Amino acid sequence: MSISLPYRPADDTALSLAVTTSPSKSNGLPRLSPSPSIIHRRTPSSSGNSARRRSLGNGAAALYPKPRRCKSQYPRDSSERHVEYILVASFHIDRGPIMEHQYPAAISGDESMLAELMLPDQTHVRSQDWTIFFLHKDTSADADADDDDASSTGKKKKKKKKSRATDVESGDGDSEDAGGSTEEESSDEEEGGEGPPLMYVLNLVNTKQDNTVKRGAVVKAMAICTRHSFLHIYKPLLLLALEDYFKNPYPETLASLYNAVNSMDLSLLPKLSLLERLILQASNSKDMFIEKFEQMIHQRQAEEGGPFDDECPPSPRRPAPPRHTLPRDTHEFESKIVYNDIPIPVKVPTVIWPEIVGDFSLIKLVQVFAGPHAASPQPFPVHPHLTTSGPFTHPIIVLINAMLTQKRVIFLGHNRPSGEVAEAVLAACALASGGILRGFTRHAFPYTDLTKIDDLLRVPGFIAGVTNPTFANHPEWWDVLCDLPTGRMKISSHIEPAPVTEGFLYFQQQAAMHHHPPANANADPSGDNIFMEEVQRSITNRYGENAIRAKCRAYITKFARVAAAFEETVYGASNLYVIGPNEELSPESPSGLQADPLDPTTLRGHGYVWPDEGAKQRELMASVSRIEGWRTTRSYYSFIQDIAAMYYPSRPIQKPDLAHHHDRLRALRLPAADAGAIYIAFAHAVKDYAGICQLLTVTPENQAGLFYLSMGLFHPHQPVREATVELLERIAAHPAGRHFWAQLNRFAKLAFFRIKRERDAQSPASGMATESFGPQSLVGVAMGDVFRRS
Amino acid sequence: MGGQVSKIMGKIFGTKEMRILMLGLDAAGKTTILYKLKLTNQDVTTIPTVGFNVESVTYKNVKFNVWDVGGQDKIRPLWRHYYSGTQGLIFVVDSSDTARLEEARSELHKIINDREMKDALLLVFANKQDVQGHMSPEEVTQALQLNKLKDKLWYVAPSVATEGTGIFEGLAWLSNNVKTQPAK
Repeated sequence: MSISLPYRPADDTALSLAVTTSPSKSNGLPRLSPSPSIIHRRTPSSSGNSARRRSLGNGAAALYPKPRRCKSQYPRDSSERHVEYILVASFHIDRGPIMEHQYPAAISGDESMLAELMLPDQTHVRSQDWTIFFLHKDTSADADADDDDASSTGKKKKKKKKSRATDVESGDGDSEDAGGSTEEESSDEEEGGEGPPLMYVLNLVNTKQDNTVKRGAVVKAMAICTRHSFLHIYKPLLLLALEDYFKNPYPETLASLYNAVNSMDLSLLPKLSLLERLILQASNSKDMFIEKFEQMIHQRQAEEGGPFDDECPPSPRRPAPPRHTLPRDTHEFESKIVYNDIPIPVKVPTVIWPEIVGDFSLIKLVQVFAGPHAASPQPFPVHPHLTTSGPFTHPIIVLINAMLTQKRVIFLGHNRPSGEVAEAVLAACALASGGILRGFTRHAFPYTDLTKIDDLLRVPGFIAGVTNPTFANHPEWWDVLCDLPTGRMKISSHIEPAPVTEGFLYFQQQAAMHHHPPANANADPSGDNIFMEEVQRSITNRYGENAIRAKCRAYITKFARVAAAFEETVYGASNLYVIGPNEELSPESPSGLQADPLDPTTLRGHGYVWPDEGAKQRELMASVSRIEGWRTTRSYYSFIQDIAAMYYPSRPIQKPDLAHHHDRLRALRLPAADAGAIYIAFAHAVKDYAGICQLLTVTPENQAGLFYLSMGLFHPHQPVREATVELLERIAAHPAGRHFWAQLNRFAKLAFFRIKRERDAQSPASGMATESFGPQSLVGVAMGDVFRRS
Repeated sequence: MGGQVSKIMGKIFGTKEMRILMLGLDAAGKTTILYKLKLTNQDVTTIPTVGFNVESVTYKNVKFNVWDVGGQDKIRPLWRHYYSGTQGLIFVVDSSDTARLEEARSELHKIINDREMKDALLLVFANKQDVQGHMSPEEVTQALQLNKLKDKLWYVAPSVATEGTGIFEGLAWLSNNVKTQPAK
């Protein structure tokens, strides 16, 4: 085809530039290991990248000044230990579960409860089992380790407080009594928002047949208590240490494990900002933010190097000490734990999200319940909060709805290891949270048994894992029962009916007034069926756990945005959206108007974008019940707080609403003038490092990346095209943006360089020779591409 | 074989289901009885039950869902969670452990006085009849004060769980008497 001819020379120049500029590839960082694999992997697309680097060279340096000192997520001098306690319990043949040892000190007064949790039901029928459970414990106990009693009574008090809140709620019959629910929330937030983090407990139990002891068996369990959510990394250590403990049942065995895990060095793991974490999470690039890891090592070497200054650029050839190596994949950090002279490699996730605990598998959870549903769907009894697509709503959607509307959910795995039910509970928490909403793990009981049933029933809306089938015989204990062996979900006959709310009435009226045709059976107004189909297709095509988690995250993000639109529609304002400057709260205000004619960034419009008003009404109507159900829950209230305290302040760009306008580019067929206004506004608003980070969070790779932004290169108006070039230049020079740029298609890049050449040719300062080969034909090709895609 | 026959019988006459709860002090022999029922001709060695065991056994046209719950004193308060829907209680007593028979009596009366257990049949296995110094079924009846019970169908069966003696006799009593029970 003719396209190869015009762009070949450009490509060649780019390549030669790449050669000349690569040694000066300076982002102010030493290049310790050149990591050739990375460079090679990028070659096909790196040409433009490097060319841009050269032309931008100085500008980029000015834009991104030498990065500030990188902080560690787990600094060496931190007083926080990786693991706070090691416990050992055993099953005493006369007395039942007892605690044998605790190291370095007793964890709390309620020893017997802990011992029961450590020895799960039916542990006598298998030789080994894992469990996970959470403790609500104050950090204050660490500060003054002497008052263990105080901390345990504190815990009791907390329990009492919680139970009182429950009483309020059950007394009101889950009514809309605003006073009651806010009160409950405030008490919850004390422990939820800024309260102490949960203590996660990973527990291994072994049953050993031994004819020399009375009744023929010894059952012992060892547990690690940590505040890290990646507690699964300690599994191999527990296996070794419990084996040792069977041989040496003394506190010294606990002490050596304690010292080994606490000497794990994670100090070279850099701390990332919220926006950076969002980008890393959504990215598949194995070297995203590798600069930060490089910088951490450099800083460490500077410290260890003694007098030599951090500011002085070290020779790039300086060999790195072997123990400081760059991670192969920046999503995780590799370290090791030396236990009894055995080095055990461990991988710690770089990005930690709330509510994501342990090493569960969402794929497994979906498959367990999707399989039987696909083979022979069973109708659910209809409940407006849960069966949002009728009696044959997908069970995974029922589960998400149940969690969002704070129902009592039990995972039952009779004859299954307790580790399996615990994993299901953790997966369910991650599913409903998406790493965004909170309040699930704090009320989750990954493994529990009958001994805790009274405490459990005091918690409103819990998620619990059990192995005892007697739970199935007590429908008054749960709202939704998820049976793991059969893969079936049940809605309890005792479930509380959903209250009729203002939003529900509003939409009933709307429907009556506008004669919306009732949704037919095949319609999917909530998009849930499509979502589940996509998830299952991704599983079938082996996309991997991260892809599925990203999809669930996107689903929850969308749910929250739809809920915000719902609140604005029904109540005139939303708690879930901080309104930007120059923005109006009227739902009728048309998106895309410029409030201040002199400031292109004052582009109006916010929130979720639907293709048309009918689609919006249908989707809101389909979701009205679960949104209203969600609006009284813990996760709703903590989300409002998180928006105010965390998500909103982390955004350097308050106007325009980047996500909204990017969605408009994506979902709507905008007139050229409207689209142009968006590109101009973006180019004006997105300038600095953090701003570009924010933009990149709305253009994740799995949702076409920079594609829709690059469409600005083909806009009929030249100022728009040039603004887009400026924006893309900045993105391409950005440490994270360069990965997005590298994945942009060739047509867009081609247009980018053409427009840049044209611009440079026009500006007298440019010394670049004008190349006059067929811009017309290029435009034709590129435009053809646009039209084909749109 | 027996299972095959009763399956055929079940097809002809219809199978009854019966929920049985098996309780007793620790080390009385509950789990051994359960697995003797399940695995008729095999030797059974058991270790202390952490939590519970549950098995289905079909005998004489009745499907028994037998729940066997651990007996250590600390976990006895959990027994009550298994009561609802129970049609028959098997209470297992170690006939040779005379010292703890009073403790067994007190636990038994706590169970059968519960509202949810008032309609349940009571079968007592006077177990470990092979051990030196054991009490006879009559002595066990006396010690447990079963004669005091009003409005209760009960039966004491002597058994040696490790050999399987007496167990199916006890089950036969349950299946014969469940017929008089209102269908649940």
